[in-house]
Amino acid sequence: MSTVSIVIIIVNILLAKILAVGTTPIMVWWERRVAGLMQDRTGPNRCDIAGIRLGGLIQAIADMLKLVFKEDFTPAHIKEKFLYTIAPALVFLCSFMTFAVIPFADTLTIDGESYMMQAIPTTLGIMWFLAFAGLSVFGIILGGYSSENKYGLLGGIRASAQVISYEAAMALSIISVLLTYGSINLADMVNAQTGVIFGFIPAWGIFMQPLAALIFVVTAFAETNRTPFDIAEGESEIVAGYHTEYSAMRFGLFQVGEYAAMSASSAIIVTLFLGGYHLPWLDTQTIQSNINYVILAIVIILPIKAYFLNKWMNKNYNWLDVNDKRQREKNILIKGFWGITIIVMAILIMFLITGLGSNGVNIATAVIQIGTFIAKFFFMNFVFIWIRWTLLRFRYDQLQMLGWKVLIPLAILNIVITAIFVVATGS
Amino acid sequence: MGIKIVPRHGKSLKDKLYIPAIVGGMKTTFSHFKKNLGDVSNLKTQQYPEVQPTDITDRYRGVHRLTKWDDGSEKCVACYMCATACPAQCIFIDAEERFDGVAEKRPKQFKIDLLECVFCGYCVEACPCDAIRMDTGIFSFTAPKREDFVVDKDRLMSHERSKDFDDE
Repeated sequence: MSTVSIVIIIVNILLAKILAVGTTPIMVWWERRVAGLMQDRTGPNRCDIAGIRLGGLIQAIADMLKLVFKEDFTPAHIKEKFLYTIAPALVFLCSFMTFAVIPFADTLTIDGESYMMQAIPTTLGIMWFLAFAGLSVFGIILGGYSSENKYGLLGGIRASAQVISYEAAMALSIISVLLTYGSINLADMVNAQTGVIFGFIPAWGIFMQPLAALIFVVTAFAETNRTPFDIAEGESEIVAGYHTEYSAMRFGLFQVGEYAAMSASSAIIVTLFLGGYHLPWLDTQTIQSNINYVILAIVIILPIKAYFLNKWMNKNYNWLDVNDKRQREKNILIKGFWGITIIVMAILIMFLITGLGSNGVNIATAVIQIGTFIAKFFFMNFVFIWIRWTLLRFRYDQLQMLGWKVLIPLAILNIVITAIFVVATGS
Repeated sequence: MGIKIVPRHGKSLKDKLYIPAIVGGMKTTFSHFKKNLGDVSNLKTQQYPEVQPTDITDRYRGVHRLTKWDDGSEKCVACYMCATACPAQCIFIDAEERFDGVAEKRPKQFKIDLLECVFCGYCVEACPCDAIRMDTGIFSFTAPKREDFVVDKDRLMSHERSKDFDDE
């Protein structure tokens, strides 16, 4: 194995790791602050390390430390200690493994050798996702069952009732997508979403298959156990559902698993329906042949963004007590953001002047595509949080009614229409 | 008496689709999010330790105080009425004889355990001399040790009526 391939493998695995697990503190932070702002309050914003509080991000780190150092307590009445221990790990592992097949950029070619930008370079794609998405519910059922607690058991039963409600509709909605793209490999699917339909709309899955996108998004919400389908947890009805008996980092693992599942679902939705790593209207070849214009556009847009961020911070970032150590933070952050902007601009301008080799163009394209993917990924995560703080919880008979009487017939109808269209047009 | 017909919602196609209602709800939450993110001063919360509440009413029951005569001596006559009325039994009084002619008895020691106190205000109701009141407006009492929450006579007499309240 050459050095290049090892570096690319490490980068891919790190990306998958960071996007699945490393974003958890950011997601927790967003969850709290976005919820606060939507409800006209601030959310946690005071926790700081030497005056640096990053808008409340430090709070997530403090909570994580608390969970790590808490006593890991196993109640004496629990008999299946093995199942009790393995349950949170299973939830976490399944959500985490889903990330292994997400393509972060188009196939990267360096010195004539091409590399798939996935943590595990496999073409199984959507099958892998369905397998692990279906498996993760076992962790929840096991956790609820082995807790030997009636609330835990109720949570586990609700989770199993939920999984039979949505899983069928989810798989059926994916079939029509498969018919459209003609492949189960996620990278092929993303590449099928280049080009335009009707002249100007980017040919993303959400515009080609709006019904499948809707059904898949709804079932993805059910799959991640988040509001409006968090009936397995149901904190206002059955204490905390399946993780009632869990404490310390075992509970933390459930929590991280929930956010990893949310991230994985976001990544799959982005890949299937939001054009994956593609910038709208710009496919890989267009970027590669016009790399100088793309870099120029970034050089122009970046300082404008930094200027608006600076303006926003000057307006909103004032600590009331002028002598407080947190007051210094604004200046440090503004300097930091401008510093990063100037460094990035300097590097890009250097590229513009010296020019990039063919390898350099390919790598720059991959970096731009990874950035696009991450931007879309965070947007989708925001939608998850946004929905959570808008909608109420479904009753589980309502979820079953929705799954079996509405989503499955719609998904089958969608398959029939798609199949007729594909056969008729012969594409 | 006319009959008022209450319309039943949820039967129309628009209601059954769920989507318009969900989009409407998301629009509402997002408008709040955008407004508050753009200008944080729109938020309804106060940044508490820096901003103190201004809406405490005269009837708010804060930490107790012992009222004083004009010469600074206590009005309390150590009758034990407040300690008897107290449902939490958090008032501890030692009486002694008083020789300056104002009253026959005075409290040698007057302690209130604020950790036990439920802030019901029965002591204020029970007092025949208007000697104990809860109009200091102190809503937050903190201390590093448990023992510090047992406040004594000097501390209670040093409390004054809150400046935010109207004069009597």
